[in-house]
Amino acid sequence: MATSTLHTNADRLVRTRLKAQILPAAANRVAGPDGVLQILAGQGGVVTGIPLGSPAGDWLGDHVEPGASLGHPDASANMAIRLLSCAGNPVTVLDGPASGARGMVYGKHGAVLASFAQEALARLAPGEWVAVDACGVGLSVPAISDLVCHSCSPELLGRISSLEDRVLAVKVAAILPAIAAAAGIGMPAAMFNMDMNTSAPPIAELAAHLRFGDLVAVLDQDHRTARTYRKGWAMVGVVSHGHTVGGGHGFGLMTLLTAPTDRFRFEVDAEANVSRALPLAGEERI
Amino acid sequence: MSSRHGLRDNRAELVAASVSGQIAPVRIHTEVLPVDREGRWRVLPASGGIALGVHAGDPVHALEGDHLMAGVSIEDSGNQPAVAGPLHLLSCVGNRVRNGRGEPIGIVAGKRGGLAPGFWAPQLVGVEVPDRLSEALTPEERIVVETLGRGLQLLDWPDIALSNLSPKGLDLLPLHPADSLTCDVAAIVPPETAGPGVGQDAWIGDLEITSERCLAGATDGLRYGDLVAFADTDSRSGRFFSPGRTSIGIVSHGPALAPGHGIGITIFLTGPTERLVPRIGEGSLGPALRSWAKNLED
Repeated sequence: MATSTLHTNADRLVRTRLKAQILPAAANRVAGPDGVLQILAGQGGVVTGIPLGSPAGDWLGDHVEPGASLGHPDASANMAIRLLSCAGNPVTVLDGPASGARGMVYGKHGAVLASFAQEALARLAPGEWVAVDACGVGLSVPAISDLVCHSCSPELLGRISSLEDRVLAVKVAAILPAIAAAAGIGMPAAMFNMDMNTSAPPIAELAAHLRFGDLVAVLDQDHRTARTYRKGWAMVGVVSHGHTVGGGHGFGLMTLLTAPTDRFRFEVDAEANVSRALPLAGEERI
Repeated sequence: MSSRHGLRDNRAELVAASVSGQIAPVRIHTEVLPVDREGRWRVLPASGGIALGVHAGDPVHALEGDHLMAGVSIEDSGNQPAVAGPLHLLSCVGNRVRNGRGEPIGIVAGKRGGLAPGFWAPQLVGVEVPDRLSEALTPEERIVVETLGRGLQLLDWPDIALSNLSPKGLDLLPLHPADSLTCDVAAIVPPETAGPGVGQDAWIGDLEITSERCLAGATDGLRYGDLVAFADTDSRSGRFFSPGRTSIGIVSHGPALAPGHGIGITIFLTGPTERLVPRIGEGSLGPALRSWAKNLED
């Protein structure tokens, strides 16, 4: 099989500096299938102690997002952050005790999610501002014209894939069937993420080992515009938020790539994780 | 007390609460790019307002609409349109709706919403209204829903949960009690076809059918008010994939342009597969809701 350098249009992509604010933390009021009501740490805020590479299902939270969650109080500016930020983009803290600390966009939920070294996270708090050097929207691979990329920096694509006879070889931590797709179907694939049915068999077992930042493929999914079931297509995403209590929710998968399934060659590799592909300075490896 | 089918229920204990709201204005939601399945920019009449001349029992594919609801779309007033308030949460199919002068105008026929309640609009309730009355209505006009039905239970079928259903709506359902409770439906669809509405509360909005794949029956001839079953879907509190449970509901809105969206089903019944059995047959509330709305004093 001929492996060639992955040629993309990266040299034509625009790099834009966005200013984003660390969002407040949420306390989620959730009832499980057994009817027991709990208040758990939810999305948003600054979550310390859970570096990328940690098991996504091990924490007593609801939609927990490791690291810092980014947005903007102006709705249009917030939309720009949601749409233009891409996994692998550098983030720099602009104010507060952690000013100058460097992180990286790794995922999306309602907010854009950034990882930082634990020592930086320990000094970060909601309300502080960061800069995101956004780059990746418009990314394409000329050899595979029906591959669509979302929220994926050229640096990340180069680290997680290679071109083999006009097929994109991608290492993923799991390959899941279409029934994995839950809340997030019908939403724009360039924003937010798609929860997985991690509370029901067979996905509960197939996804039990997944970690924050893992790359995961879901089959029979077309994520070119809004996320939808389509036989013969597939998507690759990043595990962005963790365990949830309500049914129809589960680990959140931010869309990175989608194409007809035969444009991909998936190889299962337990180490397929964005923090392995693009390690942060000062952060322990997974 | 018991239903028309002789099913014992707790309707005597239910609370009737009149809740005021408004006829929803037509809104264009710019957070969703108006792109269809072929990537074309398309905008069609969609959310809110009054769909003149569109009724329960009409085929959902007959008109160029996007998530179109028959009749009059109403909502909680005083809330953001993304928030499902008391009107949305308490309204049940079969509840009577009156205008601000106290005159009955129609019957609740379905709900739309639940994609992401709290930050993603709209959360609407659809009302079947006869043409002679809807011609006189305008968006943002005050309306009152005579809500009744939250808490309704079948006393001899405790493992079958009811939602969004008034006692009168229950009486309309084509149910056949025997060893299991059989319900006539127009289509039975597989769980992978469930789209927006997955992961949201059972009492908000609907669950959309995102492809034409059916286990039985067909979705291409569906009409407003038809009954549809989702296999392997739990809708007791949230709506989600759950092998061994069946959910049955009513067609509340028509097909949609965006990928991953489709005909909306507001869920009425959910139970274990061996206890709640959908059967292809005369599974529709459409004609009954339409004729009932013409005789609102009943």
